[in-house]
Amino acid sequence: MTVTTAPAMVELQGVSKRYADVDALHPVDLTIAKGEFVTLLGPSGSGKSTLLNLIAGMVAPSSGRIVIDGRDATTLPTNQRGLGMVFQNYALMPHMTVFENIAFPLQVRKVPKAEIRRRVGAVLDLIQLGHVANRRPRELSGGQQQRISLARCIVYNPALILMDEPLGALDKKLREQMQLEIKRLHAELGITMLYVTHDQDEALTMSDRIVLMNGGRIEQQGTPDTLYFRPETVFSAEFIGSSNLLAGTLEAGPDGAPVLRTALGTFPVPAPDRPIERGAKAMLLVRPENMTLQRGGDTVHVTGRIEDSILLGGVVRHFVRCADGSTIIVQELNQPGRVDAERGHEVAAGWLPQHGRLLPAPPAG
Amino acid sequence: MNELFGSSRAARRITSTLAWLCYLFLLVPSLIVIPISFGNPGQIEFPPRQLTLDLYRQFFTDPAWWGSMVQSLLVAVATTLLTLLLAVPAAYALARSRLPGRRGLQGLFMMPMLVPVIVLGLGLYLQFSSWGLLDTTAGIILAHIMLTTPYIMVSVLSGLKHSDIALETVAAIMGASRVTIFFRVVLPQLKAAIAVGALFAFLMSLDEVVVAYFLTGTQTMTLPVKMFSSIRWELTPVLAAVSTLLTVLSLLIALGIIALQRKTEASS
Amino acid sequence: MASSTSASDLGPGTALLLLAPLTVLMAAILLYPLGVTVWTSVNNGGFTLSAYADLAQSTLFLKVLRNTFEIAIGGTLMSLVIGYPVAMHLAAQPPTRRTAYLIMVMLPFWTSILVKSFALVAVFGNQGLVNQLLGFLSGGAIKLPMMFNRVGVILGMLNFLLPFMILSILGSLLSLDRRLILAAETMGAGPLRIFWRITLPLSMPGMIAGILINVTLSIGMYITPALLGGRQDMMVANLVDFYTRQTLDWTAASATAVVLLVLSGLLVALLGRVRGAAGLSEAGA
Repeated sequence: MTVTTAPAMVELQGVSKRYADVDALHPVDLTIAKGEFVTLLGPSGSGKSTLLNLIAGMVAPSSGRIVIDGRDATTLPTNQRGLGMVFQNYALMPHMTVFENIAFPLQVRKVPKAEIRRRVGAVLDLIQLGHVANRRPRELSGGQQQRISLARCIVYNPALILMDEPLGALDKKLREQMQLEIKRLHAELGITMLYVTHDQDEALTMSDRIVLMNGGRIEQQGTPDTLYFRPETVFSAEFIGSSNLLAGTLEAGPDGAPVLRTALGTFPVPAPDRPIERGAKAMLLVRPENMTLQRGGDTVHVTGRIEDSILLGGVVRHFVRCADGSTIIVQELNQPGRVDAERGHEVAAGWLPQHGRLLPAPPAG
Repeated sequence: MNELFGSSRAARRITSTLAWLCYLFLLVPSLIVIPISFGNPGQIEFPPRQLTLDLYRQFFTDPAWWGSMVQSLLVAVATTLLTLLLAVPAAYALARSRLPGRRGLQGLFMMPMLVPVIVLGLGLYLQFSSWGLLDTTAGIILAHIMLTTPYIMVSVLSGLKHSDIALETVAAIMGASRVTIFFRVVLPQLKAAIAVGALFAFLMSLDEVVVAYFLTGTQTMTLPVKMFSSIRWELTPVLAAVSTLLTVLSLLIALGIIALQRKTEASS
Repeated sequence: MASSTSASDLGPGTALLLLAPLTVLMAAILLYPLGVTVWTSVNNGGFTLSAYADLAQSTLFLKVLRNTFEIAIGGTLMSLVIGYPVAMHLAAQPPTRRTAYLIMVMLPFWTSILVKSFALVAVFGNQGLVNQLLGFLSGGAIKLPMMFNRVGVILGMLNFLLPFMILSILGSLLSLDRRLILAAETMGAGPLRIFWRITLPLSMPGMIAGILINVTLSIGMYITPALLGGRQDMMVANLVDFYTRQTLDWTAASATAVVLLVLSGLLVALLGRVRGAAGLSEAGA
């Protein structure tokens, strides 16, 4: 038995899914605590939607056990799992009014009429859409439709709400607004939420915990901070945030501390989370915002020529072309009166050794 | 599998049983004529007690049957060619001009599909009896041109809709004449659509009974009319042989149409 | 308007030249005979509506009209009840298997109606396959008369109508968003509720179109009642033939034909409106 601090809402034990001769999901163990907001993040084909569909009961697992709210749900039909689900295309019934759409799950649960009216009214107020109760979904905007679809979920208090790229069809501004709204609802209602997205910003904004998926496996999981600052693999580092990666061989320095010998020089590196053998290939990760274009100083650095500097509003990104042909990105805060180095000018891009992170080299191929 | 009922196994089993009974009901009448046609000439038998070709022999040696088959093929071929000649240019003009009233004309060309054939049969009967066209091959061909026009129209218009207008514009800019454009640019793109329409028209004309029943007499009787009176009055087993020939022909034409449609879909 | 004329457009002169032959033919072979029919129905040495008044008094005509409605509506309803589950079965199949099943549904569509009528007699007639089987099983005790009566007409009708109904409903079911059903399932809805609240209402346009197509086709049916029905099962189209050839009363024949023309015209117009509405709602979705 695993011991968790909060009681588990979902427990996957060795769950896998195989289609014909393709492993959509390798055996996975995952526990989601009650009240937690967990995001499944990953590129398409990484297995995140398969995982969600397994929990929803839309596909049957090839192996393993699925426990939902303390009950073995491995073979339970979808309609008996007591879930809520929000779809990317909203999946609102086009022939029903907004009110009827939200009332539908309550009718399924044989809630008395007066109670239905009260509860539908209450959630419509909660999402501030009381005035559209008698309209049909297609008369509403995308953002409104998605809020209705959320309301239809929370109205019957499912223990767990699954969201499959719910904001994928909305434009950027609306998406950010909806992210906050979903976060607010999660905080107010305390419902466990499992959210699927391929958008790292969305995952970082919303989640208590991110489960990063890659090639049908869980690559890494943890809080947004952990994934951002303490990625364990090159994949994690590259998928979340932008990164500079220097490949090299791990060696012992003059004082016995580890150093990485790369094409651009030998750099001191912090000790990795999991030990890496001396002499093995490894990679050094430095986030662009942890680098500075410096003029001397005693921090470690690489040298190169400024290729371009682009303005991204609050920050400036400098692209530095190094001697081995690789490009290092340096991100600095934008200040009034900023003077950029000229294009083609030789600069040094430096960082503090403790801001670097040593990662095992990715498997070849 | 996510079914339209949700995933209920019982519901699925019930619909599946019902569906198969229905497939059987739709399929058997079209196919059962084939084994019957190889049976004894004496009576209609299924399953046939012995296999013979006697029914086919009867069909091909009886001028009343054989003659009506020849007549039907003649009418169908003439109808198809003449309808193509009239309807393809008309469809091209409808699709590529801004003539006022072209929607009304298109409605007129589609109308035979919407009017009950018995009404057309009666009208043509009244008209042809005063024009002296009753019991003439020309009369029945004229009537069939009218009946098959909508089918060729539909096919050619949809072909024109899917063909690339830009090619015609380019040809015009390069100095090609109207006639050159039509024969060198438009027609080659319409080949499949025209073939589909032609096959449809051929089959329609070959199978048409009601109008032919009103307009033909002993001199010009087509195969469907002969079959109609035979089923009505004598129910001879030769019908099974005729039916088999017709069914095989229909199937070949249907396969041809499906293949052509596949081809145009794949190329577009 | 004129400014949008492109190089590929035909001039009005050329267009007229291309359209003229077919237009003349259709005027002569379609509009003219329809005009003759209407004219014959109201002309008895001068304009008169007496033919229609006579029809309204004729017990034969009224009985035939009732037959027509009974058979058309009854056949259509049976076709709906049988066709719906078949369409559902087709919609649930993976595409390649659906194509294979569709060929079975389309086969009667391609087969000559005379072949089908003949075959139905061979299958359901007194000496037919079904009765042979029943006789064999019951030792000769049971023989169901299923041909040359109302049952025969309905069987023939169904064989003809079902493909249209099935294809029409199938279109609606295939355009139905499967995620709605998934959504309903996650909300806890069972199969019956999903069917009544989602599948059925959303396939309504297909059902209505199917019903209208079926009624329109069956109301003018001539061959099936003539070959598979008895004397009691005469429909309007058969009455037109009866007046034309048996009693040589062309006025009554024309008036009957005009009644049929108007009825089917109304149905076609209704179908056009339903189709238009369905098209609009699909475009809006």
